[in-house]
Amino acid sequence: MEQLQISLSALKVLRSSVGQVFYSLANGIRAEHGEDNKENKYLLELQELLTTVGTNLRDVEQAVNSLNPPPGPFNLGNTAYLGQETTQDRQALYGTLVNVYKWTDKAHEYSNAAHQILSQNSLKRSSMNSNRAKRNRIQTGAHNFSPPQVDQVMASFDRLYSDMSISITRPFTSNAVIHVTLGHVLKAIIAFKGLMMERVVVKSYNEQLDLWSESRYKVFQRVTDHAHATMLHFYNPNFPELTLKSFFAWFHSFISLFSDSCKRCGLYLHSALPPTWRDPKSLDPYHFECKP
Amino acid sequence: MGTGSLGRTWPAKNKWQIPGGYENGENINSQSLPIPNQKNGGQRTVHVLHNSEQPASVFAILEYGNKVVPLIADRLFDLVILKMTNVCTDKKQTKIECKGPRFELVDFCIKLGSVTMTQNFKGVLVEIEYRPSVVPANCWELIREFVQGFLGSAVSSQIPQYLQNRMNEIYQPMDTIHQYLEHFGQYRKSTGVI
Ligand SMILES: [Zn+2]
Repeated sequence: MEQLQISLSALKVLRSSVGQVFYSLANGIRAEHGEDNKENKYLLELQELLTTVGTNLRDVEQAVNSLNPPPGPFNLGNTAYLGQETTQDRQALYGTLVNVYKWTDKAHEYSNAAHQILSQNSLKRSSMNSNRAKRNRIQTGAHNFSPPQVDQVMASFDRLYSDMSISITRPFTSNAVIHVTLGHVLKAIIAFKGLMMERVVVKSYNEQLDLWSESRYKVFQRVTDHAHATMLHFYNPNFPELTLKSFFAWFHSFISLFSDSCKRCGLYLHSALPPTWRDPKSLDPYHFECKP
Repeated sequence: MGTGSLGRTWPAKNKWQIPGGYENGENINSQSLPIPNQKNGGQRTVHVLHNSEQPASVFAILEYGNKVVPLIADRLFDLVILKMTNVCTDKKQTKIECKGPRFELVDFCIKLGSVTMTQNFKGVLVEIEYRPSVVPANCWELIREFVQGFLGSAVSSQIPQYLQNRMNEIYQPMDTIHQYLEHFGQYRKSTGVI
């Protein structure tokens, strides 16, 4: 594989040097050749270019010689039958198929990496019970809350801050998705499983909220990232309401997202972004680059 | 969309480059077309403005004594105005244009427009928009820091008069139009044309 890569790049170099020769030929004698001896200078230039072509050609030959011809035809498996497909709209399927293979490979690779990282950092989102007798009982994890209980908790948070309003929808079965509006500054959509936060998307006051698309503004993309980090930071499977209380306190501090200056550098902007990071304890605003 | 727009005359030769920002060729093109109307004694003026940021809309502001009536319509309104100009006396019509490059830097939108009044160069208007914020009061200090960052401390920290009592309201495209009109009015006064 590596040999093939080398020969391909050698071929590329050869093509470009041949291209140079033709470019020089097509242009003829140019102004930079000066007045005296211009023919000689031009010939010298051509000669030099041709020598480069010669060297490059030798490189290609060398690289090709070291290649082994593939043993017999490639085995394409069932995909070989795709070549016999007669319907017009299915003939392009092969390329798509190869792409799909690449994607699955990539997904596999990434999930392996993610698994490794996650197993090193114990971010347990549910409390595992090693006791066998207890395991059969219904667990009181954060995700086992009935809809009325969730409604009640959300209503209490809605009342907590006067400039933050919360409304509940349930587009997917019984799990709540809440819309949070923070003054005229920003809006967020938070998906829950029971009382466990699953996903947060923060957008500007005048954008449409949905769970899958990110904000078109860089500030809110940053805030969304920080919200995910904070959501995991505060997470405690045994005290879901405490988790939510800390999260909403953190979230509410963004009411002054555009009017707070950074606690460290004292400026409003750092690379044209306001302080998007909040200290989880003191809620002090910092630029992401300035955070302690 | 929070915007502070500030006016400032500038030598025409300056070229602008914003590191990290990207430029696109779009022009802001606001034109003003006041129509004097002598019915009922008092003078009425209709300012018709177009902004390439809202290409499908026509903004009209009717001034009558101390009253100001704003109107947003679609492009057909241009034809109505065309008909009206025939009815009204067509003296003293002035057309002001503000054209120039538009830059984007992270969430900021920067427009540098050179103002021309019937083909005469008048000055340069700089418009800074911070698009994530909808209330001017929230992002005023931030915009001030941004503007002073590249125009220097000579920029006044004072809130433009139009915005002063609208700082806590949600910013509308019409607010930009009003601010441009305010500056165009100053350019007109300075040349003695109404
Ligand atoms: Zn900072």
